[in-house]
Amino acid sequence: MHHVVVERWSRRESPIHRRDARAKLVAALAMIVAIATTPATHGISAAAYSVVLLVAVFVARLPLGALVWRAALVLPFTAVFALASWLSGDPLRASALVWRSYLSAFTALLLISTTPLIELLRALEWMRVPGFVILIAQFLYRYLFVISEQAQHMRVAARCRAGEGHRLTFGGAAAALSVLFLRSYARADGIQRAMLARGFSGHFPTTIPTRFTYNDACFGALAAAICMGIRFAQ
Amino acid sequence: MHIPDGFLTPPVWVTLDAAAVPAISYLARRARTEIEDSRIPLLGVMGAFVFAAQMINFPVGLGTSGHLVGGALLACLLGPAPAAMVMTAILAIQALVFQDGGILALGANVLNMAVFGVFVGYLPYRYFAARHRRAAIFAGAFLSVSVSASMALSELLLSGVRMGTGIILVSLALFAASAIIEGLITVAAIEAIERLHPSWVRSNESTGTPAFAAVGVAAILLASFGVVFASASPDGIWKLAEQTGIASRAASLVETPFSGYSLQGISNSWMAKAGAGVAGVLLIFGVTLALGRLSRRRHVVGAERKGA
Repeated sequence: MHHVVVERWSRRESPIHRRDARAKLVAALAMIVAIATTPATHGISAAAYSVVLLVAVFVARLPLGALVWRAALVLPFTAVFALASWLSGDPLRASALVWRSYLSAFTALLLISTTPLIELLRALEWMRVPGFVILIAQFLYRYLFVISEQAQHMRVAARCRAGEGHRLTFGGAAAALSVLFLRSYARADGIQRAMLARGFSGHFPTTIPTRFTYNDACFGALAAAICMGIRFAQ
Repeated sequence: MHIPDGFLTPPVWVTLDAAAVPAISYLARRARTEIEDSRIPLLGVMGAFVFAAQMINFPVGLGTSGHLVGGALLACLLGPAPAAMVMTAILAIQALVFQDGGILALGANVLNMAVFGVFVGYLPYRYFAARHRRAAIFAGAFLSVSVSASMALSELLLSGVRMGTGIILVSLALFAASAIIEGLITVAAIEAIERLHPSWVRSNESTGTPAFAAVGVAAILLASFGVVFASASPDGIWKLAEQTGIASRAASLVETPFSGYSLQGISNSWMAKAGAGVAGVLLIFGVTLALGRLSRRRHVVGAERKGA
């Protein structure tokens, strides 16, 4: 299974990649809040946010086409509700739903494409998100691909045994799920023993000390100021 | 049903985020006391398992297939507080990495799926599984999905997303169908896991008082579906409140402390709707917390009596 492409993007090198995760988190939150609170009638503000995001993509040297396509994953869900709003005679809200959800998803995508998830989770911990949740999320992300790969191996194995056209029955799917559970559980046991043997005490040690520099502060303040400027400009 | 950003209006997402913070920190503290620090990797791997388990398609007839959502399954395997933590972590990863669900809407999604979804998914198992095991697991999974979905729908309606009554009825029917599928999958999965290793599914020797659980489930169902229907009707929840006579009492309750000020803002119907809905959500939250506390105290007292 190919790993999530943002994982590769987030480890690139650019002026935005170099910024502290906390500054980027603040900037992204400012953008998403500004988008969420802009009145539906201000279509021109949506264009301004798009320009800011495009500049950020350019500075971060990320592939624009791939980002635009990936952020579009939010559109099928949005389209259903936009259509419902349109049909009940509210085209303004319908268009606002589309640009708000798309630009917010694009902002979140830009954040994760310029910040490794581990650093982002650390920034969330700095924002007082309970450490317990952060720790579970870290483990979850570490083993997500391992377990998904296992599920895919099982699917291939089932196909090898039963032929291409064969489909699982309901009970068969339940059995597959329970075997996947068993293997995940056994793996978790192994992981736990290995980590205890290496002295795991319930916290990940931080190897790279994070420093919040003057540049980081400037970046966060500038981004927040631009977002709020667009938000309150008439 | 993950709500993306841009759907909820600021009063709705601010309130839900504000409500999710104490809920999660309370549940995190509870989960910490139940799970040793060294067992945390297990919770992470269980989250990854739920992610991967969603790749397994369950044929449900008519050429379509469903997949596991997982709230009730996790609750039966890990217990409610750790399950809520795992679901929260799943939702956070989905929002941050996969843009599945919004960042500002994370509080709403966490309350819908990780807090209430897991809680109602666990209640029937907790109180009825001793006698009607299959039915209890099925009911938990069914309630988990239908309550999460109807809460999401009512949050959208409170945010002014307009849907015709027909569309609402169709989506409620779809929720019911997916809730039934989730029930069937969860029962099948738990029975298959038990066949492999009986000790992995949490035992439920303490039965408690089923009436208590029934009242809790009924209250949550009424509240979550009530908001949907109330918001769908033209005058919104105020109509429901007037019909039931709550409005006059609520108005006097609200106005007494603020009698010197004018509460004109609340007469705006949209604000009233949002306010009433949010108050409803907070009320349910308070009631569930109180229920949890009470039932725990009862158990402690019961255990002491047994000990004495």
